[in-house]
Amino acid sequence: MSSLTPLAQRYIDRFDTAARQLPGADNRSVSDLRRAGLEAFAALDFPHRKVEEWKFTNLTALTKPTANEGRVAPAPAPAIPDQPFEARFEMVFVNGRFSAAESRLDGLPEGISVTSLADSLGNGTVLSFPSQEKRAFLALNTAFMEDGLVLSVAEGVVLDDILVVTFRSEGDQETGRHLRNVITLAEGSSLTLLERHVGAGAYFSNPVTEVSLAADARLDHYKLQAESPEAFHLAFTDAELAERADYRNFSLSIGAKLSRNELTTRILGREAESHLNGAYLMRGSQHCDTTTLTEHRVPDTNSSQVYKGVLDDHAHGVFQGKIHIFPDAQHVAGDQLSKALLLSDYAAVDCKPELEIYADDVKCSHGATSGELDEQALFYLQSRGIPLASARKMLIEAFLADVLETVGNERVKVYFDGLSRHWLSEA
Amino acid sequence: MLEIKDLRAEIGGKEILKGINLTINPGEIHAVMGPNGAGKSTLSYVLSGREGYEVTGGSVTYMGEDLLALSPDERACHGIFLAFQYPVEIPGVPSATFLKTALNAQRKFRGEEELDAMEFLKLVREKTAELGIKDDMLKRAVNVGFSGGEKKRNEVLQMALLEPKLMLLDETDSGLDIDALKVAADGVNRLRSPERSALVITHYQRLLDYIVPDFVHVLADGKIVKSGDKSLALELEEKGYAAISAA
Repeated sequence: MSSLTPLAQRYIDRFDTAARQLPGADNRSVSDLRRAGLEAFAALDFPHRKVEEWKFTNLTALTKPTANEGRVAPAPAPAIPDQPFEARFEMVFVNGRFSAAESRLDGLPEGISVTSLADSLGNGTVLSFPSQEKRAFLALNTAFMEDGLVLSVAEGVVLDDILVVTFRSEGDQETGRHLRNVITLAEGSSLTLLERHVGAGAYFSNPVTEVSLAADARLDHYKLQAESPEAFHLAFTDAELAERADYRNFSLSIGAKLSRNELTTRILGREAESHLNGAYLMRGSQHCDTTTLTEHRVPDTNSSQVYKGVLDDHAHGVFQGKIHIFPDAQHVAGDQLSKALLLSDYAAVDCKPELEIYADDVKCSHGATSGELDEQALFYLQSRGIPLASARKMLIEAFLADVLETVGNERVKVYFDGLSRHWLSEA
Repeated sequence: MLEIKDLRAEIGGKEILKGINLTINPGEIHAVMGPNGAGKSTLSYVLSGREGYEVTGGSVTYMGEDLLALSPDERACHGIFLAFQYPVEIPGVPSATFLKTALNAQRKFRGEEELDAMEFLKLVREKTAELGIKDDMLKRAVNVGFSGGEKKRNEVLQMALLEPKLMLLDETDSGLDIDALKVAADGVNRLRSPERSALVITHYQRLLDYIVPDFVHVLADGKIVKSGDKSLALELEEKGYAAISAA
């Protein structure tokens, strides 16, 4: 077998030692799971750019950091001060581990259970996992997962508030943080979740989130990726939807040196719907990849996606979105739109929309555009006395306005608006 | 107020303005008429500071200042207002936000206090009432989905709010029916005062029935070839540009 990347080799070398210290070490089913994850990872290695799904995202800086030695490193984007979200319920993880001291979980309604994955692994709770055959980061996560949010909402229970989960990383760490979140909503239940990833220093964050929505369940899932500008963030979220389930995901990405937000939605029940939206704001030499796969496995299902990116300096955006409609999945509507605004001649975006349709009575659309600020509009604003810098900000805000409108929760919307405006104020 | 001396400008290396001389005193309304391609729009863009137009010679002095040294927003803050031939649609920016931002930018520039949301709303409602413009326009994105007439009304509303000293009207009559034309002209006439001037650029004489100029100039091939009073406009209408330019 050809040699592995140095980072992959280091992971494999330290697995036996690490596994003895990771949660669930005494539990046979957990160690088997980890071992299976490691084997899958070893067979894959970290993906290089000849792997189709990773064509536009080069991981060399993560996997072979020495390869770039001697080159002048581009200056990182400015650090993002953490802007906390005031919430009654917050679960906090610091450097990959649950911090009871910083968390506030008292008073959650009956029927909502929030625990840490480390505890669940310790007491042998069996977890189901999405396929890791082709996903190196998922396999690596399975091998090394240490903690995360385990959330379950009982039948018919509705949280009339927001549950916030904050993952904070501090300081440099090469070995990575492999968080695993498992979210299960029973029939007719409903919850709003805000996932925040923040930090300072150079580290590698590899969170995996599994979402399972039973019939008539609804999850409003918000994510803020505001990692340190020196960090790597490779995230994978998998959601499965039963009949009439409603999954809404909105991701705001402003952090990390290199990030990938990969989302897979498997629509398994009739009349279920999935809405994935997001905005990414990048500058310096930041790289942000959004990769989605929406599977319509049954008839009468809906999905939509709108992603908007603002790229300045040498920033690079990637959008890969695939809608897969299975045979006999008739009466499906799937829409997808990706738009990028390039603020500099050196910023770039790569888009790859894909439709894979095996049913004949479906309505699908996709669109991808990228462009600069409208010169005519800029001049129009200036001709009324608005200075160029303010005019640019107005037009960037206007570009983002409709996608930010899709944030249904008013408090989260205010929060995301504020973060976007803060990003703009540094332009 | 405005003194244009031997102004030459080119776009993409092609000379469009070939030595324009024009003086506008306070309170005067000047009309510039000319055939397509004479340089009428170029003149309005050069005066308002649009990018892509290179001034290769001459000078423009506005209230004693070198106008060409100012950025477009500075010119606006000094009281120059260009009413666009084709007002630009700006999706995602509500008209009210746009108007308030523009007004406050100009107030700030002049060292005046910015208006808060309530004060602004009161002022803008006075203006819309005066001009017979529906308030719901304020909630819509700037010019998006507006008819040609609505776009021009929006220009007039902006003019009424910003109260410029020098109004540049670039083919304000194009694409307007007679009612919309009257609204636009009425907006300009309301602002007429001994301190305020206007440069009305038009292809047809029609607009000048409603905005009566003190002087009329004929622009042909980048130069002013003839100047006169308002009767020149009628003469042009009757005889055509070719006859006048050749004369």
